[in-house]
Amino acid sequence: MKPPSRLLLALPLLLLATACGTGEATTSVTARPAQGGTLTYATDREPTCLDPHVAGDMPQAYVAQQVLDSLVALDAKGRARPWLATSWDIAKDGRTYTFHLRRDVRFTDGTRFDAAAVKANFDHMVDPDTQSGTAGGYLAPYQRTDVLDAFTARVHLDRPYSPFLNMLAQAFLGIQSPKALARSKEANCAAPVGTGPFIVRKWNRQSDVVLVRNPRYNSPPPYAKHRGPAYADKVIWRFIPEPATRFAAVQSGQVDVIDALPPEDQRTAEHDDRLKVVVRDRPGNPTNLALNTSRAPFDDLRVRKAFLYSADVADGLKSVFFGQYRRAGGPLSYVTPHYSDAHENAWPYDPQKADSLLDRAGWRERDGDGYRVKNGVRLTAEVLLKSDITPNQLALMEQVQATAKDVGFQLKLLRLDAASVNTRYQAGKYDLRDGYWNTNTPDVLHTVFGSEYAARNGIHSNATYAKDPALDKLFRAAQATTDPDEQQRLYGEAQRLISAGAYQLTLYPQTTRLAAHHGSVRGAALEPALSLPYLYDAWVSSR
Amino acid sequence: MTTPPLYRRILVRVAGAALVLWAAATVTFLALHLVPGDPVLVLLGGGSGANPTPETIAATRHAYGLDQPLYVQYAQHLGRLLTGDLGVSTSLKESVGTVITEQLPSTLQLTALALLFAWAIGAAVVLLSTGKGTVGRALGSGLETVAAGLPHFWLGVVLLYVFAFRLGWFPVAGGTGFVGLILPALTLAVPLAGYLGQVTRVALLTALDQPFVTSARLRGMSAGAVRARRALRHALLPPLTLSGWAVGALFSSEVVVEAVFARQGVGRALLNAVIARDLPLVTGIVLLIATVYVLVNLAVDLLYAVVDPRVRTPREI
Repeated sequence: MKPPSRLLLALPLLLLATACGTGEATTSVTARPAQGGTLTYATDREPTCLDPHVAGDMPQAYVAQQVLDSLVALDAKGRARPWLATSWDIAKDGRTYTFHLRRDVRFTDGTRFDAAAVKANFDHMVDPDTQSGTAGGYLAPYQRTDVLDAFTARVHLDRPYSPFLNMLAQAFLGIQSPKALARSKEANCAAPVGTGPFIVRKWNRQSDVVLVRNPRYNSPPPYAKHRGPAYADKVIWRFIPEPATRFAAVQSGQVDVIDALPPEDQRTAEHDDRLKVVVRDRPGNPTNLALNTSRAPFDDLRVRKAFLYSADVADGLKSVFFGQYRRAGGPLSYVTPHYSDAHENAWPYDPQKADSLLDRAGWRERDGDGYRVKNGVRLTAEVLLKSDITPNQLALMEQVQATAKDVGFQLKLLRLDAASVNTRYQAGKYDLRDGYWNTNTPDVLHTVFGSEYAARNGIHSNATYAKDPALDKLFRAAQATTDPDEQQRLYGEAQRLISAGAYQLTLYPQTTRLAAHHGSVRGAALEPALSLPYLYDAWVSSR
Repeated sequence: MTTPPLYRRILVRVAGAALVLWAAATVTFLALHLVPGDPVLVLLGGGSGANPTPETIAATRHAYGLDQPLYVQYAQHLGRLLTGDLGVSTSLKESVGTVITEQLPSTLQLTALALLFAWAIGAAVVLLSTGKGTVGRALGSGLETVAAGLPHFWLGVVLLYVFAFRLGWFPVAGGTGFVGLILPALTLAVPLAGYLGQVTRVALLTALDQPFVTSARLRGMSAGAVRARRALRHALLPPLTLSGWAVGALFSSEVVVEAVFARQGVGRALLNAVIARDLPLVTGIVLLIATVYVLVNLAVDLLYAVVDPRVRTPREI
């Protein structure tokens, strides 16, 4: 989304200058990809397990993207393309998928990639003992896999489920060696084995993961820029949690690429000729505050609407994120397939409308502190915040709190540790809850707003407790069709209903933000399924 | 005067240590269970939002024994510890023993160097400023107060900015080897040196008023020699006592320093384990810290005897 560095042409000269400045021994900047060298990558969060089937948090998908291949890939338009599967047939009832597989691929432990491996992977993801929160959840409709012949696998689902192919393209559902999966969970978490461009050599906890090139790699995805093995011999995948340290590390060239570029440093990075910034928004449900519709005050649509009008999100984003984050107005991030742009401006900052809606809802009086009251009860909303919220995100919440106060809402920001947050969340004890959901299909709306995910007591992905039969019907119909036009219509209607229902205060899309030290590395890119960093095409250009 | 036999003194020490470890394990267990919060969802997807099936939730609960009554969990917990089995970290999916062996060397190096720096800085400031008249004393004492109040996070970022980002003398993050150790050790040492210095200064000034100092002076000893050779020895007891506490304090401060400098270490591992409600790992690290604490205090007791003959166990003459 960002223009390339303007000073690209002057780079060799500048490099020479900076090389003199830092005393680094720079040879020359080769224009063509070069084989060899070590690439150092630094990210903020460390995975808890490198096997993305287990649990399923974003940092796991990041590493898995370098190590595992998937059955299918997505193109820039969000359509499924062949990867480890060369083609597939979907039965008319939408419940049976037959995959025809590549015959020439091996896992890096020597095991053959075949239909039995595909079956072992799906069975692993849905096995409760795998403790899978993401891949297993996405495969809820999965019944079984039949191995038709060595390279043909047939997957049976219990209902029509058109988002299936998109989900297969996510690194969370990456394909691993069945021999490796048979090891203990500890062993597989420490070093999962795939068919991908890199192999996990060693995971030094709280420091780095060492990846080495798979010399026999022959199965790159269609979006890759080259064929054959990766360019870099080795990747040191480091964890530097402190944003200022991470940014300084790439600025000084001690690290080649970082992600989670701090928004406060983005301008500096863009003006630094040594750095190239790559930013891309992620598909899915954008960062938001979910309004709990199952209890007062947000069980009243007028109060929900008033809250959405009361929040000056645009101004907050400008001051807190230095204008680096765009407002997301609708329930889908604009890079999600079947996104509709009709709802981007549905909820502008409008305190007058908020005031009149609250008056009509019966919250007419104000108490001594300026908050609205009805029958002696103050208009209060408890905001359940994730424990790992960054100072910037917290500042944004404080801005929302401040503008809400102007119209008479009292927002109580609750910052608790992760387990306490989860307990309150499971019990539905909150009015607002910050969240997001990264996935590459509009079916995220089903996950986040479907009534079947709104269990009152227990883990639920429907944080708003939206229970709208009309929405559920749309989701079922959309899952049952593979016709893109029909999906567009159905998911479009769902977006309209959700926006009108004022279920979420959407804030900004999730983004992947890379800064690469341009003097030392080229070609670091983002893959299309989840906008994850992808180092297969990256090459070390000087050292 | 008779002293208890050696084996009894050892026995009392060992029993005391065992009691400390049992208490640490129990308090840890209770704390992690009494604080509200269910570890299962933390395990099943962390911050990204996950949608595990009910079967997965039940299996996870069962795998970690979380479906058992609390007293059963406690009994199993102690039973495992008694057999020396620290278990497998629920959040890192690695045996607690391995996590500790991986993370401990980094923490021990940092603690040792920080303590050394703190002693060196504290002693230097005190020795250089106690004899220098009111201005020098006020300056030294003021420096110590400021140093003691410096927050580690701020100091770490400032040191990084000046010496790593700007001057480029040190690696920005996670540097291996001795060079990478200096900035984090200094970050920990400076505030600690402030504390140690304050305590040493008071003791040194008291010692300088003692008759034996006057007598040493009368015998023609120089002021510096009196401070360094005679009085300092008397002034060492309070900071020595403080060092026992300091090791514990360093372990907790290292949580911040390890994060700022992106270093491995048990401090950060402990913080993450607490957040993840990872009972085996929290217990393992707490027991480790308790053991270090017991050992350091034992060492401090022994050092007393070296520094101050008055504390030595009376012997028959």
